[in-house]
Amino acid sequence: MIVLDALLQGILMGLLFALVALGLTIIFGMMDIVNFAHGEFLMIGMYTTYWTSLLLHIDPLITLPASAIVGMLLGLASYYWLVRYLLRGPMIAQLFGTFGLMLFLRYLAQFLFGTDYRIIQKGLLVGKTLALGPFMLDWTKLSSAILSLLAFLLVYYLLHRTKLGKALRATALNREAANYMGIKTERMNALAWMIGGGTVGIAGGLIVNFWYVYPTVGLLFVMIAFASVAMGGFGSIKGAFFAGILIGMIEMLFPMLGQVVGSDFLGPHFKFTVVYFAYFIIVVLRPQGLFGWKH
Amino acid sequence: METLRDAFDFRDFSKPEKVGFAIFTLFLLVFPWLGAGSFVKAVAIQFLLFSLFGMGWNTIGGYGGQVELGKAQYVGIGAYTVALMMVWWKIPFWVSMPIGVLIAIGYSFIIGYPLFRLKGHYFAIATICTSLVLQDIFINWKLVGAAKGIELPIHEHPDFLYMQFKSDTYYFYFIMVLFYVAIFYMNWFRKSKLGYQLRMIKEDEEAAESLGIDARWCKIKAYSIASAFVAVGGGFLAVYNLYIDPYSVMDLDLSIKIALMSMLGGAGSMWGPIIGSAFLVPLDRFLGSWLGAQKGLIGVDFMIYSALIMIVSAYQPRGIWGIIEQFRKK
Amino acid sequence: MAFLEVTDLVKDFGGVVANNHVSFQIDQGEIIGLIGPNGAGKTTLFNCIVGYHKPDSGKVIFKGKEITGFKPFMTNREGIGRTFQIMKVTAGMTVLENVMVGAFCRADDRNLAKVEAAAILGFMGLDSLKTHHLNELPIAAQKKIGLARAIATQPELLMLDEVASGLNPKETEEMVDLLKKIHKEKKITLFLIEHVMEVVMPISQRVIVLDGGEKIAEGLPKDIVKNERVIKAYLGEKYAKGI
Repeated sequence: MIVLDALLQGILMGLLFALVALGLTIIFGMMDIVNFAHGEFLMIGMYTTYWTSLLLHIDPLITLPASAIVGMLLGLASYYWLVRYLLRGPMIAQLFGTFGLMLFLRYLAQFLFGTDYRIIQKGLLVGKTLALGPFMLDWTKLSSAILSLLAFLLVYYLLHRTKLGKALRATALNREAANYMGIKTERMNALAWMIGGGTVGIAGGLIVNFWYVYPTVGLLFVMIAFASVAMGGFGSIKGAFFAGILIGMIEMLFPMLGQVVGSDFLGPHFKFTVVYFAYFIIVVLRPQGLFGWKH
Repeated sequence: METLRDAFDFRDFSKPEKVGFAIFTLFLLVFPWLGAGSFVKAVAIQFLLFSLFGMGWNTIGGYGGQVELGKAQYVGIGAYTVALMMVWWKIPFWVSMPIGVLIAIGYSFIIGYPLFRLKGHYFAIATICTSLVLQDIFINWKLVGAAKGIELPIHEHPDFLYMQFKSDTYYFYFIMVLFYVAIFYMNWFRKSKLGYQLRMIKEDEEAAESLGIDARWCKIKAYSIASAFVAVGGGFLAVYNLYIDPYSVMDLDLSIKIALMSMLGGAGSMWGPIIGSAFLVPLDRFLGSWLGAQKGLIGVDFMIYSALIMIVSAYQPRGIWGIIEQFRKK
Repeated sequence: MAFLEVTDLVKDFGGVVANNHVSFQIDQGEIIGLIGPNGAGKTTLFNCIVGYHKPDSGKVIFKGKEITGFKPFMTNREGIGRTFQIMKVTAGMTVLENVMVGAFCRADDRNLAKVEAAAILGFMGLDSLKTHHLNELPIAAQKKIGLARAIATQPELLMLDEVASGLNPKETEEMVDLLKKIHKEKKITLFLIEHVMEVVMPISQRVIVLDGGEKIAEGLPKDIVKNERVIKAYLGEKYAKGI
């Protein structure tokens, strides 16, 4: 029973991890750049919903679009003012470029908001639980998971059923050919960053309902996102989805492992360590991940 | 021996470089007697230490071109080995330090073997992962002090067996010696067979393989050398600070700083890490202390670096040395 | 015993069978040309021999030792050198240093490697370019340096991947002379993939022709040019019938 509960919680959390991973995998699939600042985009999404809902006295669910918009603008700005130039340089420069962005946003947040831990306190669904059979589910987590799923489906629809989406995928598959077909690849790059930033912004806006936000919260999530993307296959959207959920479940189940095995050492404090370890193992043993695309 | 001759042969450097280096050496030799305050002395020691770290990173990250962001785990191994051996068994520095280096090298081979199957971004992320895993383990491992860390017992000063001194001057000369050993080593390294092979791997790995170079093995060797360097620095940190914990010696931020020093100064060049360190360490300390004093400006110093990092990455990935070389060509 | 023996080599890229049971032999001291229309599988065959790809089945035997599936650095150490059709042009190492890396394959000492490298550059007539960087040089020079680099590893068999591509007629002539010199004075067996007939035909003692993943002909250059299957492969049925 406890196991089933953990599994369920894991799936809910996993849907959010999947949404976080989605942006990362889209950007990577598009231009082979790993956005180290992805976690910071999330963090900013979290702060956006937090502050707008607090200061404007609106329910956090309604301020969600604000996070999405801020995320999109952040992605766009990052592309135009930084990434565009990084693409011309060697890989070390690309790595450090987005790394620098990560640090910049992190310390900017520290400067603006201080190091306090914050979480949404007031809202329609805050603190309420739903009794579903023998399970008690937090409404915030449940609604976040559902909205996350919706966001995922929306992006999937965008990418697979609209002309714009197809152009984006075409560019990701073969840049040169897309260029010859008249697709403006520069714009596709920017679009990828916009979608990447927007989705993770939404994820942030959802997560802050039940997870504390502080300037360095991004690191943890970006590592989870890396693991998800690696597991699912860099560039694969389906992969990000399933891997995210899988990691959510592992994360919830791992602490139980310690209890089952009777070991004090294996415990909840290694919840995330397992994820880092998982990334390493996956990437070495099966570089193409579950749905392998690029590697 | 051929090796020693190579290490001390600076003939292929340009005259300005040689003169500059000589002046720099003289300056360092007399520095402690120039009447600088303890804060400045501490900054100078940090500068030399980070140059050491940077030079280590440079072997695999600069000459080898493999951007790795997990060096801190080896700083930790060096620091903890020295600290634990002293606390548990009263083993002197000169015994525990080499052991720490050996452990670091051993560990680097174990991790390096699977790690170097990866390339590029995947590799970089994996190096972060290994460092985080080790840090997490140390944070939770009661045997080695967990999050509280280890405090080294204070011995009578000056103590050359355990390397404990009251005055920073001793520490300054100590780190300076290590610094120069590193420089001579790097001078040999860049002229060695491994050095040439690594550079070829960086330029064009496929071509390197076609010339009989086992790229993976070369990278692992360079990675181990880098780990050894950095472990030595870690050992120094243990006896200098007399206190270590997983956050101060194994942190991701430390790994980033180390890589950054090299990259900013000019990865893959002899002087790059030193220049980068000379630039960033004082910036870090002075800016940090000045801004830290004004409340509400915490983090601004980091904002400035990170902006710097972004600008350098976008416009001059070859770092400050790259800029200097460009001027020289004109 | 054949110097290089390729038996029944198959390489399948998940749908496209690039090499379909290809077999041939080379004797030591020969100059062999490998030709065929685009997409015939020449590069794949080349890569399977040097180790860039692992063949799905079949054997590659060099000097009596089986080297099937050996990695590129291993085949090089066995004595097979190679050049690249397109060289990554970089600015990090000088020409001399580039060739030194090749020399380091057989030498551990830097001064020895330097002397070796200088000697090879002298042999190839590239002395004056020692301190230049690859990105400053024209294609012909780059190709020659690629050759010098490979030769520095003291190969017994040198495999050349379209060494004449991108060269003008005069440069092509120079290249042919250079290859002859390498063959004669360094006693290296040559195996060339080529599209430029002005290079392949004059110097090859034997020519192997691939088309659609299969070997369709093998023999003396003067016989190959009259071979109906070969003409058909290159020019289509019409011309084949016309001869």
